[in-house]
Amino acid sequence: MMTSSLRETILQLFRETPNGFVSGAQISKTLGVSRTAVWKQIEALRELGYKIEAVPSRGYHLLEAPDLLSAEELRAGLDDSLIGSDIRVFEETDSTNAQAMVLGDTGAPEGLVVVADRQTAGKGRLGRRWLSPGGVNLYVSILLRPTVLPLEASQLTFLSAVAVCRTVAEVSGLQPTVKWPNDILLNGRKMAGLLNEMSSETDRVNHVVLGIGVNLNMPADQIPTQLRYPATSLAIEAGHPVSRLGFARSLLTQVDLLYRDYLENGARPVLSAWEAYCDWTGTMIEVDCQNLTIRGIMTGLDNDGALLVRTATGVERILAGDVRPVGS
Amino acid sequence: MDVKNLRSLIKMITDTDITEFEMENAEEKILIKRGPDKEFIQVAAPAAVAAAPMVAPAAAPAAPAATTTAEAPVVESGETINSPIVGTFYRKPSPEADLFVEVGTIVEAGQTVCLVEAMKLFNEIEAEFKCKIVEILKDDAAPVEFGEPLFRVERL
Repeated sequence: MMTSSLRETILQLFRETPNGFVSGAQISKTLGVSRTAVWKQIEALRELGYKIEAVPSRGYHLLEAPDLLSAEELRAGLDDSLIGSDIRVFEETDSTNAQAMVLGDTGAPEGLVVVADRQTAGKGRLGRRWLSPGGVNLYVSILLRPTVLPLEASQLTFLSAVAVCRTVAEVSGLQPTVKWPNDILLNGRKMAGLLNEMSSETDRVNHVVLGIGVNLNMPADQIPTQLRYPATSLAIEAGHPVSRLGFARSLLTQVDLLYRDYLENGARPVLSAWEAYCDWTGTMIEVDCQNLTIRGIMTGLDNDGALLVRTATGVERILAGDVRPVGS
Repeated sequence: MDVKNLRSLIKMITDTDITEFEMENAEEKILIKRGPDKEFIQVAAPAAVAAAPMVAPAAAPAAPAATTTAEAPVVESGETINSPIVGTFYRKPSPEADLFVEVGTIVEAGQTVCLVEAMKLFNEIEAEFKCKIVEILKDDAAPVEFGEPLFRVERL
């Protein structure tokens, strides 16, 4: 038996015991291992953050479970949610997006969620890395199979942005803002990034993976200073740690609500909600495109999510580029 | 025309026996054709979007002069892999990675030949049938239009 499943069995014994006390002998008998081996596993659980007291003649008692992401804990409270109908949790993986894309290719159902405690190759745009240390943040990918045309699927980037903003507001009371097309900011610093991947044919989407990385409890000294855009975490901005499990559950619920609305009413409600989180709407911005810079008033989003900028010569549709407010 | 209307239009047409439909106004031209084994749509872009200036696809190189043998094989010409979205064309998964394909590469059905990015959505474009890449019609990081050919291929 793998040591991690030994620990899972011990935790299950704690959950199933009415008075919460499980004797070493009982664990030893259930697992078929020696008392010394049981003690080692209890020590390992303590190292993971579980608070377990040992009371003479009564046994072990679980006082407090750490903020670990487990499929079982995540699913609790997502009863009739399409998102999270299947949840895969990795302690470590290369990239939750890569895992979800592979599962999508092999026929996994819509609503599948892949979560990792840490990523060894968290994906950023153009091969950049998304910093993914363990124990502190949330790295989640959601598999969808929307019946839309491939060219409409870019709308889903805005759906995950709105879901993250609503969750941040719900969990912390803080008001995040968005930067076109896919960054979530708190006090002007990036706290979440979104990267979506799609497999499609000419006129049909096979599947889309919404990749969401959220800096939750990462302390300031863990955030590199040499980033392209200044970064932060929710805990830094809120002044207290936040429950990863609580944030993840709330996020999956928000994605579920928004996705149902999207399938029923189209993208406009999502795009309008995004515009409301963008504090640059109506102001002068500059967009660095490949060879030219466009300057004008940001008026909002087009139906596919393209950024609309009113310039001296007319309204431009921006599909790619780095946006910044003029004067900063 | 927005995507929703376009979709309704396509649906409306596919519900009938019409095989070709053309519509033109000041801003756009829409041509929808249906054949027995495939459907495709082309939309002329209303105006150049704000990105690098559009470059017309390079003209296909002249077919190699047929040798004098009488039995020169007939090459099924004109098959292309097109972009299903407007976006930026990438020939590699990341800047330091290897190219997905080069001229002469033989790809299986379902194999990824390039990426097209639109607003942080990375679309893996797959070959829909086994083929050989004959010509690459776009430069790495070039903007591409909806329906625009990316590769000329020879079906195998």
